[in-house]
Amino acid sequence: MNMKKPLAIFVIVAVCTMILVVFIARRIVPEGTKAADSPKTPQRIVSLSPNLTEILFALGLGDKIVAVSNNCDWPVEAKAKPKVGTFWQPNTEAIIAVRPDLVVCETFDQQQQVAQTLKRTGLNVLSMSIESLDELYTAIMEIGDAAGCKLEAEQLVAYTKDQLDKIKAISSSAEKVKVLWVVQNEPMRLAGVNTFVNEIIEMAGGQNAIAPTATQYPSVPTEEIIRCGAEVIIQAAMGTRDLPKQQAAAEKFWAGFTNLPAVKNKRIYVIDPDTVLRLGPRLPQGVQAVLKCLHPELFARPHKVSHGMGKNK
Amino acid sequence: MNACIEVKDLCFAYRYGASILTNLNFRLDKGVFLSIAGPNGAGKTTLLNLLAGLIRPSSGSIIIDSKLVQSYSIRRLAAKVAFVRQEFVPVFDFTAAQVVSMGRTPYLGALAFESEADRKAITEAFEMTDTAQFADRPLAQLSGGERQQIFIARALAQQTPILFLDEPTSFLDMKHRVGIYDLLKQMQLEKQKTIVAVTHDINLCSQYSDMTLLLSAPASCCRKTAAGASYTFGPTDEILTAEQVEKVFGVETFSGKIGQRSFFLPLGKFTGERPDKTSAGENL
Amino acid sequence: MTKPLTLRWLGFKILLCLIILSTVMSVCSMIGTQKVSLPAVLIGLLDKQCQNTDYDIFVRVRVPRIIVAALVGAALAASGVALQAILRNPLAEPYILGISSGAALGAITAALLGASWRLWAGSPISAAAFLFALGTVWLVWLIGHLAGGSSVISLLLAGVVVNAFFSAVIMLLTNLLNSQQLRSTTLWLMGNITEKDFSTLLLSAILIVIGIFGLFILCHKLNVLTFGRAEAQSLGVNPRAVTLIAFALASLVTAVAVGLSGLVGFVGLIVPHSVRLVFGPDHRQLLPASAIIGAAFVVACDTVARTIIAPAQLPVGVITAVVGGPVFLLLLARSSRKLGGLR
Repeated sequence: MNMKKPLAIFVIVAVCTMILVVFIARRIVPEGTKAADSPKTPQRIVSLSPNLTEILFALGLGDKIVAVSNNCDWPVEAKAKPKVGTFWQPNTEAIIAVRPDLVVCETFDQQQQVAQTLKRTGLNVLSMSIESLDELYTAIMEIGDAAGCKLEAEQLVAYTKDQLDKIKAISSSAEKVKVLWVVQNEPMRLAGVNTFVNEIIEMAGGQNAIAPTATQYPSVPTEEIIRCGAEVIIQAAMGTRDLPKQQAAAEKFWAGFTNLPAVKNKRIYVIDPDTVLRLGPRLPQGVQAVLKCLHPELFARPHKVSHGMGKNK
Repeated sequence: MNACIEVKDLCFAYRYGASILTNLNFRLDKGVFLSIAGPNGAGKTTLLNLLAGLIRPSSGSIIIDSKLVQSYSIRRLAAKVAFVRQEFVPVFDFTAAQVVSMGRTPYLGALAFESEADRKAITEAFEMTDTAQFADRPLAQLSGGERQQIFIARALAQQTPILFLDEPTSFLDMKHRVGIYDLLKQMQLEKQKTIVAVTHDINLCSQYSDMTLLLSAPASCCRKTAAGASYTFGPTDEILTAEQVEKVFGVETFSGKIGQRSFFLPLGKFTGERPDKTSAGENL
Repeated sequence: MTKPLTLRWLGFKILLCLIILSTVMSVCSMIGTQKVSLPAVLIGLLDKQCQNTDYDIFVRVRVPRIIVAALVGAALAASGVALQAILRNPLAEPYILGISSGAALGAITAALLGASWRLWAGSPISAAAFLFALGTVWLVWLIGHLAGGSSVISLLLAGVVVNAFFSAVIMLLTNLLNSQQLRSTTLWLMGNITEKDFSTLLLSAILIVIGIFGLFILCHKLNVLTFGRAEAQSLGVNPRAVTLIAFALASLVTAVAVGLSGLVGFVGLIVPHSVRLVFGPDHRQLLPASAIIGAAFVVACDTVARTIIAPAQLPVGVITAVVGGPVFLLLLARSSRKLGGLR
């Protein structure tokens, strides 16, 4: 078969070309990080997550932030920073173009992908997971380490712990109320027992009205809800738009559940989710807001809980 | 003995069905034109598929060129036997030239491009079937008759000593029927091809084939071997007689002769005045 | 008669297509949310010491991303060609026999188990999607074989059954994910082109090239296979073996593409179809041409995806669907008009 010889030649040439290409490519573009002669403390920080942005500002690093992801909206200065893509799809090119010496991001797949590429480019990247209170404290310490403000980080962690302890102390003086935390109305989804939201509820002197479930945010049938005997219903607002309108809609929705103490006593609250659900330095504010909902009687007399520290509000 | 195709004690039954073929035995010499005829359900297509190695017999053996059909590799068998089925329009619109060149598949090498020899065979196939003018047209644009000719051209390009055809002319008009059978006869005579054709048209069978295998429908109760022979095999003029045809097809037939070859016309209730059986040509 | 297909003539056509592909890739490498100047890139190439963001962007982000896009496009298009031949249906596409639900199941399982990146310095979702996709294909083949000896119908039925079952499991597992995992997994499954590291690129490229080359060798047999199993066997082609090998190779390259980029839709359907309208149905031409045009198509779509709403980006699957959907409807209308006269 006279095809065998040219075929063999073709295969050999192709393999040689491939090897050559690989060899040249590796010489031109070495893998791994180049020796980053980065300064002692980073001066140009990029943050890809709103939680991390808030932490950076709380540590006094706000001036050093050169870009953020598009949903970093607090404090007001963060909103004004240049944007490098969305939270779910950061723009690698834009990040590199901004020449950061520290990038902070989260650990889910999309951001990890970007982090890997940035590391290969020789940038300094810090990835953190913030899913629980302990992880929040760890994240604050890690950022403090990387950004050269260990002292401020320790202070922030201590302060936050202190605020939360104070709130716990206040709430423990009152009887626990049964709370129904609604994540979604149709179909009805509630925050279950093994979620971070539940931790907040317990800190604020409450107790989840539904029993432990396998899933974190279970959808619960109506009869369970009727039977749960919730004394307070809290709904996280969709975005932060028009809270009064959402409050009215929520009250209308729950009007039918007349046997629930929460409905009878008109204790349905729609709250701004940013401080509560966004694990960051504003958490004490958020927990306090929940505390106000659960135990308004404790606020009959004005009680001071200070807000934030340093120059941030 | 130059036996090309030999069938010994062939039995076939579908897995949970009645027996289709029972104890079939015949030998076919090289360069012979065999017609397989019989009523619907007699197993003609099944027999052809068995001969071509597409299905396995329940028992018995089929030998082509002194080798068991089952022992041929698919490629070697395709170099021995070409199979023409009823024409159809394929899913993708290949041109006639592309279809005919597929006949060379058994001979293509690893990189599968046609060599000079292949191109020569293809051109020859077009010439033999007189279809060169359709070469660049997609099959969908040809008429049924033209398509059937292309399928036959493909089989000719395959350059096999044996040609099987399964009702190649069922939907074609008279001119095309005769044209295609003429072509087959030409292949038999000029190239010594062995031809096995399944056909419904008894008259074509009678006019063109040297040997005939007349299959009867299987016995109506399942799995019982018919007391009488379920087939007859032999030279066409011996097998195709009026009584045989009437018995096997179960219909009254008027038969006559033109030269050496007989013709048969089925007679139904409304086919007009019954011809007098003693007039108009000899009756067999 | 039109000029018959020889190796030389085919080689010429392929070369032409490759030139088009390289042009598309070069042009697209210059387009992006950041302006990259070519001189700066060349300087960075020669002088390693200076901090050159143009060079970094070009070499670390643009080029790998374009290469991934090309690989994914080539793999999906080639796989589409093979599956359309095996299933004798011009409307078949690479995910039809279980890969989409298998990959989705893999991705969700990885997310659920909280698999981390540190395990093997790569995306766990990618690896899981790749492995589950292959496993699902194997399962579909097994069921199809047991049900009806790997005929077209039995394969399709097995695919339907497996898809239905996996979809139910996916729905069950989705309930267990928290909202961030869910969003992340869903986005991943939509089909995104991302930059990969060198070893991943190399490994994927090798697997895809081998797969496409293997399919190319089968092409003349695929031609014959489209006429049906009986016809194929009469022409010397073993229908069962060819179906199995072609299916395995097509599934391999599709699984690699899915592992790289998630489920990018429509490429495997409309590229073979469109190329067939231009080049004709001979698979020896159709396969390489589709692979190359598919690569160019995905590179172009990805360029649109990453620039159209800058600085944000769309998943490339959105662009291929937006372009592919209407094109598909058009082709469907045309083919059904044609099919009206068939059979």
